[in-house]
Amino acid sequence: MSASWLRSRWVVVPGAILASTLAWNVYVAAHATGVIEGRVVDRSGRPVEGAIVTLFNRSFITNDPRQRTMTGPEGRFRFDGNDSHAVQLEAEVAGHRSERMTVRLWFRAQERRLETPLVLAGR
Amino acid sequence: MRRGFPWARHAVLVLVSAVMLLPFYWVLKTAITDENIYAYPPRLTPLDPHLFNFVDVWYLIPFPRYLLNSVIVSALAVAGNVVLNALAGYALTRHFPAKRLVLLLLLSCMLIPFQATIIPAYLISARLGVLNTHLGLALPLLSTIVCIFIYKASFEAVPKSLIDAARIDGLSEWRIIATVLLPLSKPAIATNVILAFIWSWNSFMWPLIITRDAEMQTLPLGLARFLSYLEDTTGALYAFVVMVLLPGILVFLMAQKEFIRGLTSGATKG
Repeated sequence: MSASWLRSRWVVVPGAILASTLAWNVYVAAHATGVIEGRVVDRSGRPVEGAIVTLFNRSFITNDPRQRTMTGPEGRFRFDGNDSHAVQLEAEVAGHRSERMTVRLWFRAQERRLETPLVLAGR
Repeated sequence: MRRGFPWARHAVLVLVSAVMLLPFYWVLKTAITDENIYAYPPRLTPLDPHLFNFVDVWYLIPFPRYLLNSVIVSALAVAGNVVLNALAGYALTRHFPAKRLVLLLLLSCMLIPFQATIIPAYLISARLGVLNTHLGLALPLLSTIVCIFIYKASFEAVPKSLIDAARIDGLSEWRIIATVLLPLSKPAIATNVILAFIWSWNSFMWPLIITRDAEMQTLPLGLARFLSYLEDTTGALYAFVVMVLLPGILVFLMAQKEFIRGLTSGATKG
């Protein structure tokens, strides 16, 4: 029996869409750990220990604070269990604040290690 | 043989195509940037393009639910049109008493706008108990008169001797439609698929009236809801527009050859 119907665009196109969707979902399942890691530095680029970093979740038109953590000896911080696809990060220590950094993710809870550090103004 | 300047003809066609595609380009450009559509002076090329607006649309509203509802309703409408219109179209190729009156009635019904029939349609749907259901959403689109006539024109183009031979071989009327007429009417089927899909996909007023839960809303209603939440004219809204448009464009591109053949079949003799 001929299987020419398998080469029909009515099979190939939906099949390709289905396969891409499945592959994407597998990738998402493997990388949706909810971990966001980064660093806080001062203006001269030295790591800042003991800074409070706040994670804001984006809702429709507002950004609401969801989690807080403190930086370690290397100025590093880590958030677990982020369930949003768009967050903002802000660091603060002794009255000095960084600018809010917007982090947009490709899917909810995507694991992300930030290359650019949060820079504390005035230190 | 064609005379004149083919390059001039092509230049005009390219220009007209560009003018017609410009709004689509502008929607796409806005969807992949954070620019405001009314920004002045307007930029022709996108500045810092990205795809995160599509991610926002997917998560900020129940987009997958709207998409699923639209897919179910469109699939029902397409199936209904392909099957029911074929039956009606075949009936109209046969001779029966008052056939001209039925044809006249169908043609005159095409003059009545859908808005004028919404209240009876709603009452019938309520009586059938299909309000706020997928079947209820698809019900008025399960058969359309234009598509019946497309089938009728296509079936009339099939030689009568072929149908007579099938009947002599003992095929029932159902099997004549399914095994003789439909395989020879692929352009008409494609036209039915495209028109039914696009009409049901874009349908706004009927779903607005018949749905009660946000869970049953389709993409056009979701778009209106999204606009009421966001009230701005930046990327995410246009990303939503692109996501609503894409399936319709995809179905059209897949079936455009048969669609054009289906629309023009019966237009010429011989």
